[in-house]
Amino acid sequence: MTQRRPRGSRDLSVLATIFRYELRMLLRDTRTILIAVVAPLVILPAWILISNRVERSEERRLEQAEYRYAVTGSQATWAREQIAQALEWEDPDAEEPAGRITFVEADVSDPDSALRAGELQLLVEALSAEEFAAVLEEEVAEARARSGPSEEDAESEESSAASELERLLDDPDFPLGEVRGLRLLFRAQSDFSRNAQDQLEGRLRGLRTVKRDSVFRTRGFPVAAEAVAVVEDQDVASAEKVAGSFLGLVMTPFLLVLMLSGGSIVAADAISGEKERGTLETLLTTAATRREIVRAKQLAVIVVGLAVAVVNVGNLAIYFGLGVLDLPQGLQVGLRAGQTLALLFLFLPLAVLVSSALLFLSGVSKTYKEYQIYFFPLFITFLIPSLAPVLPGMELRSVIAFVPIAGVAVAVRDVLLSGVDWLFASIAFASTGLAGVTMAGWVESSLSNERLISRSELDEADLVGGAALFPRHVFQWFLGFWVLFFVVSLWFGDQLGVRGQILVNLVGIFFGGSLLLLRRYRLPVREALSLRMPRPAAWIATVVGAPSALLLGVALANFVNTYIFPVPEEILRAFGESLSEPALSLGQLVLFVSVMPGVFEEIAFRGVLLHGVRKRMGPWATALTVGIIFGFFHVALFRIAPTAFLGVILAGVVLLSRSLYPVILWHILNNAMSTVPFQLGWLPEDFSPPLWLAPIAAVTLAGSLWVLWKSAAPAAVHGRAAGPPD
Amino acid sequence: MSADTNPTVQVQGLRKTFYDESRGEVNAVDGIDFDCHAGEVFGLLGANGAGKTTTLRMLSTVLRPSGGRARVMGHDVVLEPEAVRRSLGFYSASTALYPRLTGRETLEFFARINRFPPDRVPARVEELVDRFGIREYERARVEKLSSGMQQKVSIARTIAHDPPVLIFDEPTVGLDVLNALEMVRVIRDLRDEGKTILFSSHIMSEVEKLCDRIGIIHRGRMLAMGTLDELRDLTGEHYLEDIFVHFVTRTEGLESATLGATGELEADDGGRPNAGAGHATDQASESREEGA
Repeated sequence: MTQRRPRGSRDLSVLATIFRYELRMLLRDTRTILIAVVAPLVILPAWILISNRVERSEERRLEQAEYRYAVTGSQATWAREQIAQALEWEDPDAEEPAGRITFVEADVSDPDSALRAGELQLLVEALSAEEFAAVLEEEVAEARARSGPSEEDAESEESSAASELERLLDDPDFPLGEVRGLRLLFRAQSDFSRNAQDQLEGRLRGLRTVKRDSVFRTRGFPVAAEAVAVVEDQDVASAEKVAGSFLGLVMTPFLLVLMLSGGSIVAADAISGEKERGTLETLLTTAATRREIVRAKQLAVIVVGLAVAVVNVGNLAIYFGLGVLDLPQGLQVGLRAGQTLALLFLFLPLAVLVSSALLFLSGVSKTYKEYQIYFFPLFITFLIPSLAPVLPGMELRSVIAFVPIAGVAVAVRDVLLSGVDWLFASIAFASTGLAGVTMAGWVESSLSNERLISRSELDEADLVGGAALFPRHVFQWFLGFWVLFFVVSLWFGDQLGVRGQILVNLVGIFFGGSLLLLRRYRLPVREALSLRMPRPAAWIATVVGAPSALLLGVALANFVNTYIFPVPEEILRAFGESLSEPALSLGQLVLFVSVMPGVFEEIAFRGVLLHGVRKRMGPWATALTVGIIFGFFHVALFRIAPTAFLGVILAGVVLLSRSLYPVILWHILNNAMSTVPFQLGWLPEDFSPPLWLAPIAAVTLAGSLWVLWKSAAPAAVHGRAAGPPD
Repeated sequence: MSADTNPTVQVQGLRKTFYDESRGEVNAVDGIDFDCHAGEVFGLLGANGAGKTTTLRMLSTVLRPSGGRARVMGHDVVLEPEAVRRSLGFYSASTALYPRLTGRETLEFFARINRFPPDRVPARVEELVDRFGIREYERARVEKLSSGMQQKVSIARTIAHDPPVLIFDEPTVGLDVLNALEMVRVIRDLRDEGKTILFSSHIMSEVEKLCDRIGIIHRGRMLAMGTLDELRDLTGEHYLEDIFVHFVTRTEGLESATLGATGELEADDGGRPNAGAGHATDQASESREEGA
């Protein structure tokens, strides 16, 4: 029920009362306070403290240990000499003298198995020049065999080590066969063994440098001063700037996490808890308006969320201040007044959005438990945009300002890094704030939603069963399908190949799942799948509409990639490669990539899914929801948005035409057009339609949709539900 | 509150339609008319699922009517929901109290959010504490109180803002005999103070004892309405139970010819399945209308 008379908009006493009591009740919930607020305060520093302690004692243990090694090989005597000298050597560049480390040569009969058994930490093989050459060549051959012939994988550590050796071997000046070698064998899974190797190798190398220099000197090696370049680096950024760039990246996500978890303490209880206890109906039958109730609770969520954030930050600050914990190097921020003001300004809409979203979850959940289930997805959804500053090449003044949370996160980074760009900050403020206010409106309407607020809603549908239950279960089913879909592509993708995967997904999951649901809920097939023949004009509209939507979609995707989320070229190309289906012939391409998806995906998404969703939502929300779910069934991250866009249009086509047939053709055409011309070489791989086509496409798309609506199949039983928005 | 002339509650052609997948549209409340006046107890008598609760929830503005009109103290339930809620107190088995508030705080809270003049709230709370004998446990949290004590606090919070109209939806459900008697006594007192009481029950004896006028409601329709004596004259039966059965069997007989056996789910022991179905699906049809 909308509040037609803004009663009490000036009278804040009701709002204040609800707010006051909300906090009072929270403070009396000692268990929640203990677990949600006090426990983290103790746990976090305790954890850091303990891990520091453990680390230090581990270091001491490593220092104080006695390292046992053995020497084998034909050149053992020479090796012992080298080792003895190496242990004497001290690094002249070291800032502090290296701790004394005790190496003891052990006398073992079978050094190999002693090393494996952990009796030895290190085994030194002393090789003669010939043996050493043989070992090197063998290693190169092995590394080559492992990394394969391809040159592209050169970045991998193993093959780069191999190529370094290779170069060494190919170098005619390298005295292969003339120098003896020391091979250090150790066990990487043991800290002690690793440390022994590390220490001895470092000293051996240091010793070698000393010896080489003395050889140069004694031989009178001529070195001209101008032939040597001394390299020195200096960081011109101030400590504040360095700290700012670090803080700028972590501040928004960190605060967001604190506010989400802190605000959740109130939000979970605020509506879903009230439903569960039966107090919501008591509250809703009072003279307080929905708006007052929502605003008061929202205020409580904000206050508690901020309080938890402040307390946690303060807590950490105290520990840093006391020196119990060490600050990351150079992390000292001197915030100027302007910066502080800008940060507060930016975090305000964020707090509003967080509180609205949490209350919205609470509003749509009927129980505490349901709230908890929804919380995690929300958490992730909020966290991801807050990481926007981490994206490479994210510039100020880009369209990202319009993306809620992400805009604020980028603006915050720039406040800490350089200064305040008030235009950008204001847009970020507005977009995030607007999202918050919109969501607050949703909370209000959730309080008028009879399905959500009535407690005595004994699940009649559960009693009736069958089709009545379907709209409520449809999301759970599709979540299940999605998990299955994901697991199949992740774990069996390679074995199945492209065709196998398409078959399993389309026939197994989408078609099989649809049949299962139709049967399980005894859905009326003709009605559920909208199997009605549209008028002939609908076909023409489809043939015109499909390419229009495709063009528009590509243009939008380009726009998004260029201005909103500038995804690096390499990533896009990598995804493009993983998408190409080189194994398919033209016929197979048409069958597997265009016809079959057209039929089976439409049955599943615009048939069964849409049937369930539209019993719960209006046409706009239905199209949007179906589209987004469809998008998520295209696992590659950068395909979600374009397929969701297509999904929304396809759902719209069904809602307008009241028939599944045009949309099947639409989907087939769409997929064929986006693959076949490339396969046949009519278009180059990196073809991108000119931007000026987009507005034309938008117009023809709108026209097609209009024609589809006008030529819709005759209204059937649920004509009202399927009716076009007017 | 001059009685007789101006009805405090007016209900005209009130309807609530729920949409149910398997049965299509279900009329939980199917065109009900009645008026109530100050100083009377009007009883809605009907089986579980007859539409009593749905009617009363529409009056309390929690549910939105699908058709017809209802006014409380002259305020329309759709157009002025806050004004309506301000003029009424709603008590039902599903209106619980906040467990972590004390009895006293509960009264203060509800007086304030029902916009009782703030300066008079403390005096009002004192008055209620005395009237319901809450004094000795006024500072104990509600969660620690016995069910009898909770009931007293609950009634007190219903009238915290001294509203002219009070709705008691099956108030005695789940109460023991003594508490149920106490409830009946309180309602009678409130009537004597000039309040309008809307009372619903499926317990014949309660209705017989308490109500000045009775409306018999069945499958969303008002079958008969009048004082107990008027109903006795109409039917020739003496006991309310027989009167109720008289009306119900008469309509069942009439409807069985036209409606067939659609009413199975509305049997007396179904735990209000009828209302439930409606909530589940009504949202869908409503939002569809909004979107269209």
